Amino acid sequence: MEQTMHENEYLYSGHVACSGCGAAIAMRFLLKALGEKTIIVLPACCWSIIAGPYPQSSLKVPVIHSAFEAGGAVASGVRAALDVKGDTETTVVTWAGDGGTFDIGFQALSGAVERNEDFIYVCYDNEAYMNTGIQRSSSTPYGAWTTTTPGIEWKKLRKKNIVEALVAHRIPYAATANIAFPEDLVRKAKKAKEIKGSRFLHIYSSCPTGWRIPSEMSIKIARMAVQTNIFPLYEVEDGVNYTINYKSKEYPVREYFKLQGRFKHLSDKDLEQIQEMVNEDWQRLLKKA
Amino acid sequence: MAKGKEMMGPPSILIPCSYISTESNKTGAWRFLRPRYEEKTSPCSAACPAGEDIGRIEMLATQGLFKEAWETILWENPFPGVCGRVCYHPCERACNRGEFDEAIAIHTIERFLSDTAARNDFKPVLERLPARKEKIAIIGSGPGGLAGAYFLALLGYGCDVFESMPEPGGVLRWGIPSYRLPLSALRNDVSQIESQGVRIYTGRRITRDLLEDMYGTYDGVFVCCGHSASRSLGIPGENLKGVTNGLDFLRRVREGEIPSVEGLSVIIGGGNTAVDVARSVIRFGGKALIAYRRRRQDMPAFEDEVAMLLDEGVELRELVAPITITEESGEYVLTLGSMKVAGEDTDGRARVERDGDTTEEIRVKRVFKAIGEVAAESWFEPPEKGTDIKILNTCVMVNRPDHPAVVFGGDLTAGFKSVVNAVASGKEAAIALDIVFRKGLDSVDEGLADCMVGDGPAHSMEIHMKGERYKRSSHIVPYEEINTDYFSFTQGITQPRLLRDERLTSFEEVDLKISASVAMRESERCFNCGLCNQCDNCYIYCPDMSVVHDSSIQGRHVDYDYCKGCGICVVECPRNAMSLEEED
Repeated sequence: MEQTMHENEYLYSGHVACSGCGAAIAMRFLLKALGEKTIIVLPACCWSIIAGPYPQSSLKVPVIHSAFEAGGAVASGVRAALDVKGDTETTVVTWAGDGGTFDIGFQALSGAVERNEDFIYVCYDNEAYMNTGIQRSSSTPYGAWTTTTPGIEWKKLRKKNIVEALVAHRIPYAATANIAFPEDLVRKAKKAKEIKGSRFLHIYSSCPTGWRIPSEMSIKIARMAVQTNIFPLYEVEDGVNYTINYKSKEYPVREYFKLQGRFKHLSDKDLEQIQEMVNEDWQRLLKKA
Repeated sequence: MAKGKEMMGPPSILIPCSYISTESNKTGAWRFLRPRYEEKTSPCSAACPAGEDIGRIEMLATQGLFKEAWETILWENPFPGVCGRVCYHPCERACNRGEFDEAIAIHTIERFLSDTAARNDFKPVLERLPARKEKIAIIGSGPGGLAGAYFLALLGYGCDVFESMPEPGGVLRWGIPSYRLPLSALRNDVSQIESQGVRIYTGRRITRDLLEDMYGTYDGVFVCCGHSASRSLGIPGENLKGVTNGLDFLRRVREGEIPSVEGLSVIIGGGNTAVDVARSVIRFGGKALIAYRRRRQDMPAFEDEVAMLLDEGVELRELVAPITITEESGEYVLTLGSMKVAGEDTDGRARVERDGDTTEEIRVKRVFKAIGEVAAESWFEPPEKGTDIKILNTCVMVNRPDHPAVVFGGDLTAGFKSVVNAVASGKEAAIALDIVFRKGLDSVDEGLADCMVGDGPAHSMEIHMKGERYKRSSHIVPYEEINTDYFSFTQGITQPRLLRDERLTSFEEVDLKISASVAMRESERCFNCGLCNQCDNCYIYCPDMSVVHDSSIQGRHVDYDYCKGCGICVVECPRNAMSLEEED
């Protein structure tokens, strides 16, 4: 594990991700874990840009850009083509943002995992449509400002629990991961690689631009999401076996919210309410584990 | 349709396929903040009068590189065996880890490293400058004199140390009991110093005339003969037979004498000498009482020592001052007057004055004076004023046309007397003389300021000799600059000690040694404030692959062609070994 982090680079410098981009870090860790025998299917998302405008590519592995809603379907097709060619070595990965996973790509994703297609679906979650200008998605958390939930109209709906939705499909493997916990992330990606069938990784990827945070705080805030139980690290095998991978320091959620401009309008009362929501979700998860 | 050249085989269907990398985009142009590697100063090293590079010592010890860690101490202090035992370790009070959970047991690790070096007979490989023609005489072989000689030897000078006693060490040899500082520990350090080419002439008492002679044969003289005469009590009966100097008593014990101490001994004073005398008396089977004019918390003796003293059964009487001593049928009557607190002294200790006329009498077998020491001869003292005098931090330098440079140091010029302060004084004297010989007298102030650790007052030989440490910033890393996300609470070690009953019957060393695994675990707790320990977080978290490994000492560099200046590397550095600055 230790070695994996320090060698083999599958990204080129010069990609055009924003300064401090969590999604770039997430991709870097994922490919370090999966290695060069990987094909990336890329529905519309920030990474459609980061991967480079034609004729450039910022990845050292093959990438197929796909339509927004088609991540699950294209990956199924790539897998089928590889199977025809007799290639069992290559891992097919759909790398989608939260829009391409929670919202627009959900149908194709649900269909593919219901068929238990042999691929890894990775959602790097930056909690809004960042690439198009910070529009809210069903992944945007309760309390957040976005350009479509501005001012007092901040989002008053909870974030969709995507891992639970995938677990409900009883896929062989579903896990959360976070860019501030690289060893855990790499371990889960390697584990997913060895499993047959549909695997789902939900990677928390901070977004300095959309979250109104200083770029240097990218990792710090990602770590705080875990330490407050807002984004617990856990994995679920075969839709039933839950394992919580990290015991958090259980900091109050306030510590996480106060660092970010997208939450600056929240009152103490709002934060108390959010704390209760987080506690409730955490207790629910503990019951399952 | 473009042909896949670099990245993949020729596409067989009609879709556009990228064939070049993004490396032609020099995203470094986006940057308005610039991260760079910049090691800084750890608070412990700045608090250490000898300026030891403690953060690095702990780092090396963590890796099991005990010889290298020991050599790193020797850069700045030739007495790790001694200081690991008797130093009052101000470093530990400054330790940032103390704000997190518990300070690192720096002195315990120092002692472990020195014991390990002795056990394995390590021969240090030290940086030294080419030999020079100047020869220096050093008067006194205490910690200050020997440290001065040692550093001068490393700087290329021939050094002769003159000692009046039959063995070197000064107060370390004759004034500190062996249960605190065993002879073997001192001898290991002294022989290491001698192995650097320092010549020690014992049994050579220097008189004023001999000093004059030295002016003709040496290019510099370092006077560091310490304070060996007891300060007088100034009360009637002080010169009775049963009233002796505490320091003389300690010397006789270290010479091997087994003194008769039956009955009650009263020790007057509150410093380490008083405590050492009382604890020695107890060990010889006597009873001891310390009479101190201020309160326990005002005692200059080390806190730990006072706690053990009380544990060993010595009585401590606070706020009493001796008034008279009289002899009565083979015993003595000591009259003590009670004192009261009347404000605070500039050093924060209580100022005391007589509390009315209340007195009490104690019948005692003997009285020890331990209220501090002064220079044995008046000419040991540096001249107080004159245009040819340069007052340094811990030394006084005299430059007269009729004789070579003379530096007075150690206890003679110390604001605070302790072993490590004497080492610091010896180092300052050595560096000052070196600057005089290499660059001239006018450069002394500047040269000394250049090799300070942090804001001083400690000096560093490594910085003076332009070693790696020279590149560090003098910024002292405060606790707030440590990224504590990377550390979890762990308990520090408890110094293992002889049990009370074992202590009472022997002069065996009270503090026991620790194992290598305990030392490594303890040193691993160190934050290594301001120092890169190659954790590689900067590399791991870089979103732009702009931290590139290389073969430099740093092991990596920032590729400014692509670094966007996000600053993650600087924030995620657990120990503030990087800095983020605005681009010009």
